[in-house]
Amino acid sequence: MKTTDARHPDRAGAEKTMENFSALFGAQADPPPPPTALGFGPGKPPPPPPPPPGGGPGTAQPPTAATAPPGADKSAAGCGPFYLMRELPGSTELTGSTNLITHYNLEHSYNKFCGKKVKEKLSNFLPDLPGMIDLPGSHDNSSLRSLIEKPPILGGSFNPITGTMLAGFRLHTGPLPEQCRLMHIQPPKKKNKHKHKQSRTQDPVPPETPSDSDHKKKKKKKEEDPERKRKKKEKKKKKNRHSPDHPGVGSSQASSSSSLR
Amino acid sequence: MAEKFDHLEEHLEKFVENIRQLGIIVSDFQPSSQAGLNQKLNFIVTGLQDIDKCRQQLHDITVPLEVFEYIDQGRNPQLYTKECLERALAKNEQVKGKIDTMKLPRISGRTEPQAVSCAGVE
Repeated sequence: MKTTDARHPDRAGAEKTMENFSALFGAQADPPPPPTALGFGPGKPPPPPPPPPGGGPGTAQPPTAATAPPGADKSAAGCGPFYLMRELPGSTELTGSTNLITHYNLEHSYNKFCGKKVKEKLSNFLPDLPGMIDLPGSHDNSSLRSLIEKPPILGGSFNPITGTMLAGFRLHTGPLPEQCRLMHIQPPKKKNKHKHKQSRTQDPVPPETPSDSDHKKKKKKKEEDPERKRKKKEKKKKKNRHSPDHPGVGSSQASSSSSLR
Repeated sequence: MAEKFDHLEEHLEKFVENIRQLGIIVSDFQPSSQAGLNQKLNFIVTGLQDIDKCRQQLHDITVPLEVFEYIDQGRNPQLYTKECLERALAKNEQVKGKIDTMKLPRISGRTEPQAVSCAGVE
C-alpha cells in the first residue's frame, strides 16, 4: 500500500513509513467477514489466504501477524513494544548546550581571528613573498586547484643538472622583452602619511624595475620636483617683495634709507 | 610538530629567494652571469630535494580544500579560519536554542508530549 502526494511526490521518508504500514497489514488481503456476521446463512467457506510472495514453509500465517517483507527495516524489526518506536540515542555529556569553543580551548584562537580585524589580501599573510600574489590564480594558470585536479607527471626523483644539460641554458645578452618584464613588478608598498600627502601632488609611483639606474633616476626626479616648486615659489615671493609696486616694500626701503643717513 | 613546519618554511623561503635571484639574473643577462645562472639552477634542484624530504614528515597533515579556494582568489587564508569559528559558534548557539526549547514544558500546560495516533494515516 503506497500513498503518494501529488504535490510532493518525492517524499521518500513518507513512502518508507507507508511501506511499513503496508507491511503491518501484510501482502495478503483482509479476509472477508463471515456471512453470519452479515445476517445471512452459512455460505461458502472463506477462500484460503494466498501464499506470501517469498514462499517457503509455514505459508499458513495468521492475518493479524505483522509479516514484514524481505527488504524490511531492521530497526523496525528490533523495536520495543511499540511499532516504529526506535531505541533512543545514548545520552552523552557533551551536547550543543555547552560552549564548545571553551570546551576545546579555542578561546585564544577565537579572540585572535574574530576579535581583531583580519586583513583581506594574501600579501598581508605573506608579506615577504615577491611578485603579485593578490591576483587570482586563474590569471596566469597558477591556481592550486588546477594543481590538485591535474597533478603534473613527475619522474619520481630530482637529479642534478649535468654539464651537457646546462648547455641548454645559454641565454642571449640584454634585457627581457616587455611581455616578460611584468613578472618582476611588485605592488607598491604603503607609505607613511606624511609621504603620502606629498605623493598626492606628484605623479603616481611607477612600479619597480630590475635596473637600478632607472630607479635612481626616478628617485632623483621625485626629489627634485617638490624642491623645484618650492624654489619657484620662493623666487616669486622675493620678486614680489622687491618690486616697486609692492606697498610694503617701499615703506621698508624708505625707513631703511632714513636710518642709514 | 612546529619544528616540521619551521623546516619546511625555511626551505621554501630559500627556494623562493633563489628563484627571485634567478629572475633578476635572467632579466638582464650578461655572459659573465652564466656561472651564477648555472649555480642557481642547481640550487633549484637541491631545494626541491630538500622540500621533498620534508614531505615524509608531514604525510599525516590534512588541509581542507576550501583553503585553496581562498588562496587562489588572492585572499588571506586566515579568513577561512575566522569564518569556520564564526559558523561553529552560530551553529552551537542554534543547537543550544533547540535544546532549551525542547526542555521547556508545552505551551498548553501539558508536561508530557502526546502519542501520535495512526488513525489519520490512510
